[in-house]
This record gives sequence, C-alpha cells and structure tokens, in this order.
Amino acid sequence: MTGLRAENLTLAYDRRIVVEGLTLALPAGRVTAILGPNGCGKSTLLKALARLIRPQAGRVTLDGEDIHALPTRAVARRLGLLPQAPIAPEGITVGDLVARGRAPWRGLLAGWSAADEAARAAALAATGLTDLAARPVADLSGGQRQRVWIALALAQQTEHLLLDEPTTWLDLPHQIEVLALLRRLNREQGRSIVTVLHDLSLAARFADHLVLMAAGRVLAEGTPEEVLTPGALEDAFGLRALVIADPVTGTPLVVPA
Amino acid sequence: MSRGLSLLAAALLLACLLGLAVGEVLLGPADLWRGLLTGEGPGGFTLRVLRGPRVATGALAGAALGMSGAIFQSVLRNPLAAPDVMGFTAGAGLGALAVAGFGAGAGLSVTLGAAAGGAGAAVAVALLALTREGLVPLRLVLVGIGAGFTLTALTGFAMTRLPGPEAMEAQRWLSGSLAARTWGHAGQIALTALPLALLTAALVPALALLEMGDDLAAGLGLRVQRARAGLAALGVALAAAAVAVAGPVPFIALMAGPLARGALRRAGTAGPGAVLAGAALTGATIAVLADLAARAAVPGVQLPLGVMTGILGAPCLLWLLTREMERGGL
Amino acid sequence: MTGLHARTALTLAALAAALAGAALLALMVGTRPLAPAQAWAALVQPDAADPAHVVLRQLRLPRLAAGLVAGAALGMAGVLMQAVTRNPLAEPGLLGVNAGASFAVVLGAFLFGVNDSAALSALAFPGAALAAAAVFVLGGAGRGGAGPVRLTLAGAALTALLMSLVGALVLVRTEALEVWRFWVVGSLADAGSRPLAMMAMVALAGGLLALALGAALDALALGEEAARSLGARTGWVRAGTLAAVTALCGAAVSLAGPVAFLGLMAPHLARALVGPGVRPMLLAAGLIGPLVLLLADVAGRVALPPGEVRVGVMTALLGGPVFILVARRMRLGAPA
Repeated sequence: MTGLRAENLTLAYDRRIVVEGLTLALPAGRVTAILGPNGCGKSTLLKALARLIRPQAGRVTLDGEDIHALPTRAVARRLGLLPQAPIAPEGITVGDLVARGRAPWRGLLAGWSAADEAARAAALAATGLTDLAARPVADLSGGQRQRVWIALALAQQTEHLLLDEPTTWLDLPHQIEVLALLRRLNREQGRSIVTVLHDLSLAARFADHLVLMAAGRVLAEGTPEEVLTPGALEDAFGLRALVIADPVTGTPLVVPA
Repeated sequence: MSRGLSLLAAALLLACLLGLAVGEVLLGPADLWRGLLTGEGPGGFTLRVLRGPRVATGALAGAALGMSGAIFQSVLRNPLAAPDVMGFTAGAGLGALAVAGFGAGAGLSVTLGAAAGGAGAAVAVALLALTREGLVPLRLVLVGIGAGFTLTALTGFAMTRLPGPEAMEAQRWLSGSLAARTWGHAGQIALTALPLALLTAALVPALALLEMGDDLAAGLGLRVQRARAGLAALGVALAAAAVAVAGPVPFIALMAGPLARGALRRAGTAGPGAVLAGAALTGATIAVLADLAARAAVPGVQLPLGVMTGILGAPCLLWLLTREMERGGL
Repeated sequence: MTGLHARTALTLAALAAALAGAALLALMVGTRPLAPAQAWAALVQPDAADPAHVVLRQLRLPRLAAGLVAGAALGMAGVLMQAVTRNPLAEPGLLGVNAGASFAVVLGAFLFGVNDSAALSALAFPGAALAAAAVFVLGGAGRGGAGPVRLTLAGAALTALLMSLVGALVLVRTEALEVWRFWVVGSLADAGSRPLAMMAMVALAGGLLALALGAALDALALGEEAARSLGARTGWVRAGTLAAVTALCGAAVSLAGPVAFLGLMAPHLARALVGPGVRPMLLAAGLIGPLVLLLADVAGRVALPPGEVRVGVMTALLGGPVFILVARRMRLGAPA
C-alpha cells in the first residue's frame, strides 16, 4: 500500500458533487498526467489528493495512512502542491520566494539552517535559476516564473509533487521546457509527479502513466498507448480524432478529425 | 535592521522630539535636551507631565494601529484593508457613544467602551461571515460593510437623541483624542500592545505563506483557516488596545502599511516581518505628528487627534495612489 | 429572448405595483392615520377645511414625492457606479457626493449660521456636485482616463478628507454640530420646504442620461479593451456616467440628506431579479430604491412613537441585515 491512493472518493462543493466513487492508485516513482475535459473534476481531485479538500466519502491514503489523520506539516513534508494560480508577493526575489518552500521543515522560531540553504541551492540549480536568485520575480518571463514556482515546490523536498496545469499560459517551447524539467526531476531524483495537463499529445510524450477523467470518474488509465484511443477520446471529450504515432518519439499523437 | 527600517525609526524619533518641543510653550533645543536628561529646567514639567505621556501614548497607539492595518492588508491581500473591514471603527464609535452619551456600562471609561464596541463588532462580523467554507476574505469584507453601515446608522441615530453639550462631548470622543493622557495610559498601551506585537511576530512565517494564496500555503503545511483567524484576532486586539487609550482614531491603520511598504521598497525588498515593523513605526510617526498638528492648528482650540489624521492622511493617500498608478502598480 | 423580456417586463410591473402600494401606505400612515378612502378623497376632492386633507396634501404628499425621487435616483446611481467601476461593492457615496454635501452644509452652518431646511438643501447640491467633479479630476480624467480603481480610491481619499474637515468644523462651533448631527442621518420629514420640483427635474435628466448610456455600459462591463473593440468611446461613457451619477445623487442628497446604503443595496436586489443587463437593472433599481425608501420611512414613523426614526437610520437598520444575509448566501469560495 505505498504511494498515493484515492479510495472510493466522493468530492463535493456544498451539495454539488464533482467527483463520485473514484478509486485510483498513483504509481510511485513515475510521472502521471491527469487529463479530461474542462469541469470533469481533475483539479478538484488534485486538491483532495493534496489534503486541501475533505472528502464527503472515501479517503486518500499516503503509504497506507489516511491523509486527513496525519498532521498538516507531516503531510507537507512528504507531498507538495503547486496550485494553478499562486500569488507572488510584491517585490519578492527569486531566492526569497524559493526559500518559502522550506516552511514545513522550519520550527516556529528556528533560523535558516544549513539544510535549508542546501535545499534551496539544489532547487535553484535543478531549475537553472541559480544566476537569477537575486532578481525580483516580477522581472522574469512567464516560463522563468513557472520554474521559480517549481523550484519552491522542490525546496519543499517532498517525495510526491502535485501540479495543477503547470503549463497553462506558456508558449510551446516553455511548455516543453517545464515538462522536460518535471521528467528530469522524476528520473534523477526519483520523485513521484502527478500533474493535471490539457495538451493530450504533450502528456503522452512526457508522462509514464495517464489518467483520463470525465464527469467525475476515471474513464481509462494506463500507458499513453493504452489510454489515448479514438474510442476513449470520443467518450471523454466527444471529440472525433485520429491517434497516430508521434514521428519524433513514437508516443501517441492526437489529430482531431 | 534594514536601511528602510532605520530610516523609518529615525523619522519617528524626529517626530517625537518635535512633538515634545512644540506646543503652547515652545522649548528650544537646549531646554528640550536638559529637560529630557534631568527633568529639570523650563522644559521639565512640560515634558514629564504634559507632553511626555501624550507623545508616548500617541506613539504606542499609532504603532498598534499601524501594525493592525498591515496585518489586515496582508491577510486579505488587499492594500486598502484595515480593521474597518470588520466593522471595527463603526463598532468602536457606537461603543464610545454608548458610554459617553448614555452612561452605559457604568465605571467603564469612554475609550474602553470604544475598544469593547470595536472588538465586539469584529467578533460579530467574523461569526456572521463564517460559513461551511470557513472564513472567505471577500465574504468577511461584505459582511463587514453591511455591519459598518448598520452601526454607523445607529451611531447617527443616537447622536440625534442627545442634548447639545453631551453631543459635543460624544463627537469629540468619536474622532479619538490624546488630550490629557497620563503615564498610566502610556503604561496601559505598552502592557497590552507589546505582548500582542510579539505574538504577531511569531506568526510572521504564517503571514509569508498566506501571501502566496490559500492553496499553496496549505500545501506548505499551514493550517490556513486557523492562521487567518489568529492573525485577524491579533489585528483586532491591537486596534482595540490602541482605541482603549486614544479613542477610535481613523486612517492610521489604513495609511501606515502602504506608506511603510513604499519606503521599504525604495530601500530594497521587504518581507512581511519588515512591513509589519515598518507599519508600526510609520503609524507611530503619523500619530505623533497628527497630534502635534491638532494641538497647533487652531490657536486656543485643541482639535481631537482623529480630525488631524484624516486631514493629513487623505492628501497623503492620494499622493501615494497617484505615484503607485504612474508606476503601473494599480 | 422574447421570453426573457416578457419575464423582465412582468418583474418590473410587479415592482411598480408594489411601489404603488408602498406609496399609498406612505400617505396613510403617521401620527394621524388615514383610511384609504380618506386618502383618496383628499387627493381627488381636497377639502381645505378638513385637517386630515391638509395633513395629507401639505405634509405627506411632498414627503412621498421626495421619497420617490430620492429613492429612484439613489437606486439608479448605484447601478451606474457599480457598472462604471466594475465593482459590485461600489456605491454612490464613493464618488464623494455625500461627503461633499456634508461639508457644504456644515460650512454653511459654520460660516453663516444657516440652519433652515430649505437653505441646507440648496447648499447640499453644489457641495455634492463639486466633490464629484473633484473626484473625477483627481481620479485622472487626464492621461489614460479615469480607471475604475483610481476613481474608487480618489473618492475614498476625498471622502476621508472632507469628513475630517467636517469633524473639525463641528467641534469648533456648536451650532454647526447641532445642524449637522440631525441633517446627516437623512430625513424626508421637511420635504415640503425643499426644492422638490427642481431636484426632480435634475434627477429626471440624470435618469434619462443613464438609460441612454445603458448599452455602452454593458460593453464596458466586458473590460476596457473589449468595450473599445465594440465601438464604445470609454472615456466619454465614463464622463457621461459620472455626470448622471452626480445629478442623481445630488438631487437625492438635497431632498433626503445622505441616505446610506440604498445605492449599494438596490442594484444587488435588481440584479437578482432582472439579471445583469444595465438597462433592465436601471429600471428595476429605479423602482426598488423608492420602494425600500418609502417602506423605511413608514417604518420610521411608527417605530418609536411619538417621535420618528429618520429614514437614513431606518434604511441602514433594515438594509444592513438583508445585505449580510445575501453575503452569507453568495457562492464565493468554491470554483464554479
């Protein structure tokens, strides 16, 4: 029972049910992409996995333990979340913002420790931001800014990293840059990564495991080849599409018909 | 201490010296110095009994108000937030009036009535704004506005029911005043505001996380609802501590934060801790200067502090907004 | 679309009927209650010898008229303010009109000892108009035009300044405080002595201008750039809207004093009833405003006999809890 699992999960805002009876095991040590049409509940699911929403029924477990039974800080040391629209405080520098990722490791009155500094340096290095550490975040480009937020999540040093649409608003080269970074972090540091994505073909390229959702349920999961079939796309999106092999990587490429 | 904070501290020191020196009896530098060091000479009595406690009370109350405003601005992520958003000032006004004009809560001083009214209004607003989603900032603001209008209307109504002289007295209390403060008042605000400021300092890391949005803060292990409620409670308590010695002084809580932020940013970047400290220093400076102006503006008439904070503060706020706008900040 | 329009028309008709009922109530209720038949007789066959008829024609009728004009003006001004600032919390007072009127009234009392209702009413209008013009200029009518945030902030700053000056003046001279503390809570009681016909004309002009701007304001609701691409000249639309708000609010504050809260509350109720279109909202808020104001006025007459609770107090007392209830029910936290 290792890793992150959702068991018979039902999620709702007030009385509006968004996700119902969902069971899902996220493979440890892999890159998983959650896909699905707008409003299918994928962001809500991600928030529940990160302990931000308390389920109406069912539970989320981390290595077999109910995530709501664990202390907040203990969860934050094992599982990081990058939400869709984080807010950069006015005038803050890259280094200071990334340092805030150390929050779950620092005591109430503890100073900035050597371990904190090492974690920040490693996070900045992994995202290629070491030279930009003293720059105000507001001066950076969109792609660089997204790397800063990922660096913040890295400084948190969690084995699981959840990201909600980290490539939205980025141009194609920056989307690829961010996804390649996530995969490199997975391969080199062994972190489990779960990300909500919109672009099906990019997801197929960079993720090991895909979860296709529609109307609050899991429609299909497995390797990109198993999940991205014309039938599944028709069911999930109502989209008639051809799926061909990507001429560069051989992964599935979705071509709307 | 950063350069920006040193500058703000120097400004406060200057304001205090000015506040001690200027008044109906003008003290020259030599008399001021001698009076401060020895308590003797022409300035001795003025400093010890008249202006010393007044300046100390004003500075501490101003600092508490400034810090309170800065807390609300960070927690609600809105540069124009203040304890007013929770109906604090409106409640304080009604509380002051209840005691001053109608003798409610016998034995309670008017300022304590104001503090109780303000805190009571804030607690009521928080409870009314609490839903299953917890304390959503926008809902808090909305409920605060509704409560503020209602309480202000009640205050206006109560004012129409008072005989003339009592109405004058009540009006004086409604804008806050530092007239006739003693060292007892200074001690009271020191003993109440300092522990609250220390507690706030302990919550600075939580404030740093809240600034980045609820989801990210929660993901970093912060109990968002609890932290927000705790910080808001401290903000209200600080404002109440100030109001308990100076009455409901308007504008300082709103103005100190943005001014401090501007000064600190010019001298480098500013974390939430520096902004809180800067807002406290700025609030103290404004209070001391405004009180000085209130004493000196109309010869023979002592205007209440609150009138002057508004008259000085509004142009200041306008200037700030215009500058911010020109830099594309808004 | 026709179904929607029919529903809106039906809603407006129902509001108008309710308003007619409230108006009748306003004529009947008071220290000397009148039966509906008596009230009707006084309207159509006035008898100068019947004291009941005199009360109705000389006291209650002007009071009713002032309530209708001020309520409609405040309701419509609220819709305009929220549309032009794109902020659901904006209210006409934000433009500094109430503070400007307060300052003018207090200044008149302070300098010249003005204390009769007609003169105060005459001072309030220019005070309100000047303050609104100042906010418009301070809010950056020049370069780049007056953005919504900037307007709001300039209004808040000017309001604070004027109210502090009011505070200083009333503390220096008792007579000024005596005038101000009664004027500031808003009242319809002295309506007969106020420039009713003139202010009604001013409000009517403001209301017509507002309706003419409705379509352009709908475009502005989509944002500055979208509005321009839809052909709206945003600078002029904004200037025209503020002129309309000034006329409406100036008339209202002149007739009824600074009635708080109505301008904030009426648009919210209107939006709930007829949807977000500016023109239907203007019409609905123009009916809801006087409806609430008249009911508050009637409630104030019977709340604390033998005296009256002034209408500004009653509006906030009744409106505040309603507003809090609405705020509690709004969906704010969860994503849609």
